[in-house]
This record gives sequence, structure tokens and C-alpha cells, in this order.
Amino acid sequence: MRPFIQRTPGAGLPQLVRLLSSTRASANAPKYTSASAEELAHFNALASSWWNVDGPQRILHKMNLLRMDFIYSTVRKHLQLNKPETPLEEEIYVPPYSLDLLPKPIRLRIVEDQEMRRDALLNKSKLRVLDVGCGGGILSESMARLSFVESVLGIDLSSDVLEAAKLHKGKDPILGDEKLSYQLTAIEDLDASKKYDIVTMFEMLEHVDYPAKVLSEALKRVEVGGWVFISTINRDFVSWFTTIFMGEHMLRIVPVGTHTLEKYINQHEIREWIETNQDVRDSFKVVDAKGCVYLPAYGWKFTNSPDVGNYFMAIQRTL
Amino acid sequence: MFGAVRRLATAAASAQVSRLQDVVIVGGGPAGLSLLAALKSSHKTRHLKCTLVEGGSLDNIRTFGEDPPENYTNRVVSLTPQSVEFMQERIGSWQYINQDRIKFYSSIVAYDSQEKDARIQFDASMTDGNGVLAVMCENINIQSLLLSRIDEIGDSTILDNTKVLDIVHPNKPEINHDLTAEPQTTSPGLDWPIVQLSNGESIQTRLLVGADGYNSPVRKFSGIESRGWQYGRFGVVATIKLQYEDYRSIGWQRFLTTGPLAILPLTEDNATIVWSSTPELSDILLKVTPEIFVHLVNAAMTLDEVDLNYIYGVLKKDPTDTSVLEEIEWRMSKIKLSELEEKYPLPVSEVIDKSRARFPLKMSHADTYVAPRVALIGDAAHTIHPLAGQGLNMGQSDVAGLVEALEKGVERGMDIGSTLVLESYVSNTWPANSMLLGVCDKLHKIFSTDFYPLVLLRGIGMKSLNMLDVVKDLMVKSMAR
Ligand SMILES: Cc1cc2nc3c(=O)[nH]c(=O)nc-3n(C[C@H](O)[C@H](O)[C@H](O)COP(=O)(O)OP(=O)(O)OC[C@H]3O[C@@H](n4cnc5c(N)ncnc54)[C@H](O)[C@@H]3O)c2cc1C
Ligand SMILES: C[S@@+](CC[C@H](N)C(=O)[O-])C[C@H]1O[C@@H](n2cnc3c(N)ncnc32)[C@H](O)[C@@H]1O
Repeated sequence: MRPFIQRTPGAGLPQLVRLLSSTRASANAPKYTSASAEELAHFNALASSWWNVDGPQRILHKMNLLRMDFIYSTVRKHLQLNKPETPLEEEIYVPPYSLDLLPKPIRLRIVEDQEMRRDALLNKSKLRVLDVGCGGGILSESMARLSFVESVLGIDLSSDVLEAAKLHKGKDPILGDEKLSYQLTAIEDLDASKKYDIVTMFEMLEHVDYPAKVLSEALKRVEVGGWVFISTINRDFVSWFTTIFMGEHMLRIVPVGTHTLEKYINQHEIREWIETNQDVRDSFKVVDAKGCVYLPAYGWKFTNSPDVGNYFMAIQRTL
Repeated sequence: MFGAVRRLATAAASAQVSRLQDVVIVGGGPAGLSLLAALKSSHKTRHLKCTLVEGGSLDNIRTFGEDPPENYTNRVVSLTPQSVEFMQERIGSWQYINQDRIKFYSSIVAYDSQEKDARIQFDASMTDGNGVLAVMCENINIQSLLLSRIDEIGDSTILDNTKVLDIVHPNKPEINHDLTAEPQTTSPGLDWPIVQLSNGESIQTRLLVGADGYNSPVRKFSGIESRGWQYGRFGVVATIKLQYEDYRSIGWQRFLTTGPLAILPLTEDNATIVWSSTPELSDILLKVTPEIFVHLVNAAMTLDEVDLNYIYGVLKKDPTDTSVLEEIEWRMSKIKLSELEEKYPLPVSEVIDKSRARFPLKMSHADTYVAPRVALIGDAAHTIHPLAGQGLNMGQSDVAGLVEALEKGVERGMDIGSTLVLESYVSNTWPANSMLLGVCDKLHKIFSTDFYPLVLLRGIGMKSLNMLDVVKDLMVKSMAR
């Protein structure tokens, strides 16, 4: 068992801060985003059972439901209802104060107008998505099926899981090559001039050796107004207890060896990293972060504390 | 040898899958039609390619809207306000109802054959139906409004007069003993079930929905177990006319040891009956002349069971023995007129020709409603004793639950055939259905017994407040979900 107790909450921090702040120093270093051989061997071994929703990845499949809710509601909520070029008579009224102050019938009317506009805007959208560390493609496939997504590119460093992803894609005729494609590549090897509306990194940062490097490579590939969505795990007792001790060893709902505690990144560390890097701070904003927890008989559920256990984060490029 | 031939036939048929669909619904009953209309009405699911397959003909349903038969048909159900609201709000189909052939009613009087003072009145105040307890409506009227809505939207395929002959799983062919045979070829990689139809077509579908009634071929294909039992009773239905129109809009239900007998109001002087009876009694009810039948209904709503048993005995020997007419009239004449008017339904004067029919009563519940790429709705998932008029209504709430799960699945970019999508449908509907099935089963068992101590208990009990409350609670639970 990992000597968790010996590790006081702050003990691992300097190392991670170092990792997170390594961005600048690494300008022309070799593949900083590459995964260790150990990590890749682990995921390669899981490839064949990736899509068995009752198999080793069931918990990831269940989590996918919640993260799709997170992505959908975030994108929908932050649609720009009135573009500068929108003619005045077509503008949707957005009161400059809380809607709750208005009488109910008026409030409902305004909400309904706004929702209809959101539907219309989404219907017209054709978003391009990059899924980094796509694994067997659980999230990539879901994103590709959304009506407002034009195309998804999934990348990973494990060739076996990508094979599983490609094989599974063939089981759904609506997932044509123009909608969904996969590529065995490190993120920094992707053409940085090609931008995406959404870049996702789910359950991935905790598996890489240089998370800050990966994150900054991701940010480079986002369109203005676009989004980076990540999910990972706080480095705390709850995480260790639920994901490693209970998840891997006691309940066996997660394959043993999936997680390494030292690699977990705290929610506030990401925020701090953004704040301390001026170029990042100027153009990116953490719009939302939500904790989530797995309840065995229920599934995944949002919590009010993004600082405990697993969390999702939405970062928007504003400039 | 036979096995090999059959396997080859299967392989050959499934080799030419003519179409891919997102949803294939088997069954054009109220549940199947409602699902199709609901999927096509929701802006989240209307893009799904859907086909509905029905073994029988839908012609009389299609013509019902324009040209309904003169008399009420004998399959009439009581629709709850929830079902009506669902058809109004979520399907937008209620506008197509034939208004002249539905009857809103506000209360039901239930009383016991063993103890004439034991009676309970249920009214709309016990449910949240805004002054309406339920609506009496022909099955065909419901099917017709759903079909009108589907036609209005267009964009889906309905194949009637087309039977599902077989359903095969492309990845699980029948065990192949002949190793030299070609492996089964289907659309490469697709693990979707293939539905083979009597018109020669084979459709491969992302999601297969069984709305195919009690014997559900889809349920059998999916290997889902269904548990339950036959009640050893038949539901005898008929369309009748009362002596004159009853302006009170009341339904009547009398608990007899043979099972409950209900008279439910339709427009004007029309009404419908559901008479749960032993096989022996149901035989008699179907064989006797219309005149005797009318008298029997009146007698069964009013007279003591001893008298009724005597009359049944006579008719068992000779179903045309008109001496029972006088017998019944004589016994009825002994009840005070004012009591008859106050405590019993209006007398029946006529039964519509050929409207008498019987259905075996049973209770069944599937262990689950879903399997990979399969969902069950309506009677395919559960059948219930008709005493609380819930069967069709449960199917409508199944549809609401399934559509909700599918909408969520679409919003999440899921493959809607995945159990990850379908599971929430089961967890949202199974427990309530199970409770309702249990309640109706209990009610049936309390009342339909001639096991003496229990009858005695019921007789004494129904008068005492305690028992009344239990029964009332059970009934309200079952009617007001
Ligand atoms: C006496 C009686 C009284 C009732 N009273 C009430 C009441 O008051 N209130 C109420 O809510 N409910 C009542 N019910 C129950 C109600 O009638 C049923 O619950 C309802 O009709 C079930 O609808 P469904 O669409 O699920 O199934 P069904 O109506 O059974 O439809 C199934 C359809 O599937 C088709 N099918 C089957 N196999 C195949 C195949 N292989 N290929 C193609 N098609 C196929 C059949 O042709 C059929 O049309 C009563 C039932 C009885 C017996
Ligand atoms: C737990 S899985 C998550 C898969 C997927 N994102 C999901 O949530 O469904 C982690 C994946 O990240 C991949 N991975 C690890 N390090 C990586 C790196 N440096 N670059 C790209 N992918 C990496 C692994 O191969 C593995 O497929």
C-alpha cells in the first residue's frame, strides 16, 4: 500500500508546482508530453475491454454521462445570444440584473426566448473538437454524435487503445471519417496553426509526466471563444481513498495500476498556474469547476466542492 | 440436418439487410403508436429514423377519425389525467381525439356484494386531476389520435399487415456445427439486431422496442424473464345502453366473489362494462341471449350472491332458459325503489349486438425492461388486472420514461441503444409499475375469494373504518399514481 499517511498535504506540492511551472524552461526540449512506458503498457493492456460497458472501464463510461452534461450545459450557457452584428429587432433581451427580480410570467417569457435562441444558435454551430488522450474514444464518439459538432479528432499515444477506438467507431454508421478520426500523435506534433473550438483532456492529465506542458500545448490550439475542458483528480486523501484504495483495491471497479497519487493535480494548482503565467492569464479564464463523486449504486454525481476528489474544469479562451 | 438448413436460411436472410434504422418499434397498439408519436414530437429525438411494424391492419384506425362506427367498440379504457396531459403536452396529439366519443367522469362508487352498506366513493378530489377522475375512451380513438399525429409529422415508416417473423443477432448466430460453412455476413461490424419481416424485408436497428403485447416476441428474443400468473378469470367486456342518460357521470364497481363488475359511463345513454368472471361464468355470459345478459348485469350489480349463484346454476344447464328473467325481476322488485335509485347504477336496457367478448386476466412483470439495444414498453413489459383500469395508462408512462431517457442520451451524444442510456428508463418506471401491479393484485385477492374466513372478514371489515381505509388507500394509490 502506498505510504499515503506519511505524505502531509503540502509535502508533494513543491514537486508539482515545479512540474506545473516548467512550461517556460521546456521550450525546445524533446517530447515533454509523452507518457511513460509504464502508463502506455497499462492502457495497451486495457484496449480490448475498453468498450465493454460492464467491464473494467464501466466507471469511465458512467462518468462520460456526467461530463457530457458538463460540456453541454457550459457551451449552451455561454453562447453569445446577441452578436454585435445582430439587428436590434432580433436581439434577445438579456436584463442587466438577476432574472429572479422579475415577476414570474415575464421571467418565464425571457427564459423561453433565451432558450429558443440557444437552440437556434446551437443548431447553426459546427464546432471542431480535439480530444487529447482519447483512449478508446468514449468521449470522442459522444462528441461526434452531437448535432452541433462538425468533426472530432482523437489523439493518443497508445497504439492499442487507438486500434480499439477505430474498431468501435466502425460499429456505428453515423460515425463516418469526416465526423470522427483518430491519430497516434503527441499533442505538440499537431500543427499549432490549426485551431479547435473545443479541446478536451479527460482523465488524462493525471497520467502524464509534465501536465503543465500538455496543458499549454492544448491552450495553443483553441479558437478565440473556444473551450478547454479537463477532468482529473485532486491529490488528497479522499482521492486516494476513493480512486486507489476503494476503486482499485477494495471494490475493483477500476483496473489496478490505473492511478498514481503523486501525479494527481489539485484544482487550485491549475488556477494558480494560469494566474502566474501572464500570456495565459490574459487570454484564458477558468469559467467553471465542479467536483464529482462516484456512488456505487447510483453512478457519478456533481458535488459542490471541486477541491475534493475528481473534478471537471472549463477554461474559455477570451482573447 | 434441419438445424443446418434453418441456420443457412437465417444467414441468407440476414445477409440482405435492406435498411438500417435508429428505432424499430414492434407493435401498433396504444404503447407503440404513442412512442412513435412522442419520438417524432420531441425536437431532441425527431431526427431518429423510425419504423413501426404491426402484424394486424391499421385500416379501421385510419378511418375512425373521419368515419367512426355508429356504436361504441367494446375495447374501452379509462384514461388518467396524467395520460391525457402527456398526449396533450408532450405529443401534441390530444387535439385529434374524437370529442364526441369520450366521457369525462368525476367519481366511482365501489361497493361490496357481501355487505351492502360497505361502500366507498372515490372522487376527483383524491387525485390531482383538476376535477376529473378519468376519461372513458375507446382504444381505437386513442390509436386514431396517435396515428393522426404521426401522419401530420410525416417522416416515419409504418408497416401494417406485416409480422415480425424472427429477430436475429448478427454476432450470435445459432451455434455453427458446420465448420466449412461460410461465416454469416451482415453489415460489417454492426452488432445491431436484425428484424425479419413477413414482407421479405430485413431491417437492422440501433434500438429495437417491444411494444408487442403480452406475448412479446421482442422480450423473448432479448431473453428477459417475465414473471406472473394467470388469475383463472376472464374479463368480459360489452357495450351497453342504460335506460336513460345518467347525468351524474359516475362509474360503478361492485366487488363480487367471482371478481369485480364495473359499469363505466360513456356519452348519452351509452356505457361499457368489464366483468371479471370465472371461466364458467364467462361462458354463460357469452352464451346467453342479449335479453338475459342485460338482466344478468342488473342482477349482478344489485342482488345477493346467493341469488346470483342460483340464477347462474339455471343458466349453466340451459343458457336460453328465459325463466330467469322473471326470477330476476321478482327478486329486484323486493328492493325499495328509492334505494335502487340512490345506491345502484341505472338499469341496463340493451347490449350492443356482437359487443360481448372475453379476455383472460393475468398479472405479469418483466424482470427488467431493457437489454443491449432492446427496450420493452406497455403490455410487453407488464400486464395488470383491469380492476383499476391501469394497463394502457402504464404503457403511456413507460413511453414518457423511455422518451426522457432517449432525449437525455441524444443530448449526451450517446448511442441510444446502449444500456447506459436505457438503464435510467428502468430505474424511473419499474418501481412505480411494480407497486401498482402489487396493489391491484392484492385488491383482486382480497375480494375475489370464496375462502370463507376471508369473505367473512371482508364482510365485517369493509364496514369497519379500518378496512375501508386500507382499501381506499390501495384504490387511490392505484388510480392516482
Ligand atoms: C378486459 C380489459 C379491460 C381493460 N381496461 C383498461 C382500462 O380501463 N384502462 C387501461 O388503462 N387499460 C385497460 N386494459 C389494458 C389495456 O387494454 C392494455 O394494457 C393495452 O391495450 C396494452 O397496449 P400495448 O400497446 O402495450 O399492447 P397491445 O395493445 O397488446 O398491442 C400489441 C401489438 O403488437 C402487435 N404484435 C404482436 N406481435 C407481433 C409481431 N410478431 N409482429 C408484428 N406485430 C406484432 C399486435 O398485433 C398488437 O397490435 C384492459 C385490458 C383488458 C383485457
Ligand atoms: C484514463 S484514460 C482516459 C481516456 C479518455 N480520455 C476518456 O476519458 O474516456 C487515459 C488515456 O490517456 C492516454 N495518455 C496518457 N498519457 C498521454 C499523453 N502524454 N499524451 C496523449 N495521451 C496520453 C492513455 O494512453 C490513455 O488512453
